[in-house]
Amino acid sequence: MRGLNEMEFTRQQIDAVFPKVADVIADALGCDIEDVKLDSSLIEDLDAESIDFLDLVFRLERAFKVKIPRGKIVEDARGDLAEADFEQKGVVTDAGLQRLREFLSEVPPERIKTPLKAADIPRLFTPETFCKVVLRAQKNAPAAAA
Amino acid sequence: MGGRYGAFTFCDRITDYVPARSARATFAVPATLGEFPSCLVAEATGQLAAWVSMAHIGFRGRPVAALARDVRMHAEVNPGETLTLEVDVEECDDNAVFYQGRAHVAGEERVQLIDCLGPMLPQHDYDSADDLARQFALLCGDGAAPGRFDGVGAHAMETIAADGESRSARLHVPVDAPYFVDHFPRRPVFPATLLLDHAIRLATALVDVDDDRPRRVSRVHNVKMRDFIRPGEDVVLQVTKVAPGDFDARVRMTAKIGDRKMATAQIGFAPARVEAA
Repeated sequence: MRGLNEMEFTRQQIDAVFPKVADVIADALGCDIEDVKLDSSLIEDLDAESIDFLDLVFRLERAFKVKIPRGKIVEDARGDLAEADFEQKGVVTDAGLQRLREFLSEVPPERIKTPLKAADIPRLFTPETFCKVVLRAQKNAPAAAA
Repeated sequence: MGGRYGAFTFCDRITDYVPARSARATFAVPATLGEFPSCLVAEATGQLAAWVSMAHIGFRGRPVAALARDVRMHAEVNPGETLTLEVDVEECDDNAVFYQGRAHVAGEERVQLIDCLGPMLPQHDYDSADDLARQFALLCGDGAAPGRFDGVGAHAMETIAADGESRSARLHVPVDAPYFVDHFPRRPVFPATLLLDHAIRLATALVDVDDDRPRRVSRVHNVKMRDFIRPGEDVVLQVTKVAPGDFDARVRMTAKIGDRKMATAQIGFAPARVEAA
């Protein structure tokens, strides 16, 4: 398993996919591409809704010719943490918050407020979150094809 | 006429069906109608995708219109014509259906649906799974009797404001309308396609002001339905020019109830076809 402080992807890797990801996001959300910053909150800054995340996944699959598992961002964030250890009664636990800060390292810490409802995790997603989704899919592609 | 599977169901018979993948169906537009707007052609195509996706998951969920990247409206469908509907379902499961669709008449494409996405909602909240399964079997077999649809009736829409760049109007959704029998029996919802049809009428009034260069709607794109509109609600539609091109005007549509944004879309126009003398 990845160490807590180990960067999953380099800045160069993220910067390499960002222009196309931003293009897809701007097209999907009907916003100006100039408004799509790496650290914008998709929901709060760009007016996205949960259905948009599913739409983004479909569009990113086409743009990057990769297969992206559905609804896996939160599941991936949880990693090997049991669901009961990640959230209790709909609220993310301290251990869960620690995992989120690590997994969503692109999200400024002050944006991860406590208590955090599990249902509000998508409010944290940024364009960089989806850059990482694409990079993970690209990384997993050869193994899947083998 | 009308009634269940007649009031707002646009499929007479499913002639080809590959489970979870594709389907082709026919729908004869009753000759007695005054018109059959392109939005209803899109509705018919979307409903076919809904049948395929619901059948795939044993009718325990039903998709609702949420996102459409592009709905291209090539030409009107006239009462008396028979639609052939085709859908290619790229993905469907308990969460959502993602599909492409086409509607044509005698081989000529009239409406094309590109990249449509509908989230699945629990069927028991909206309809009877058993009843739908029986209707699907009928459609895949002998088919249903054609000619049951007799229109959606008139809706009150009053202009609130209008200038050269934008128009807004209040659309009153009736408390009771025949189409709620089908859409949906257990929880009536104002159909997204009817909302778009009214938005198109408003946008046309905004754009088509030059008699020498009439325009027609050529596409509705980036459609996003954010929430359900219920019977009896008043919706404020606003259309604003975003690209006042000579031939390809584009209008942004927003539908709101109070401060709540219910739907957004862009409506594109093209020069109307001029009939040869």
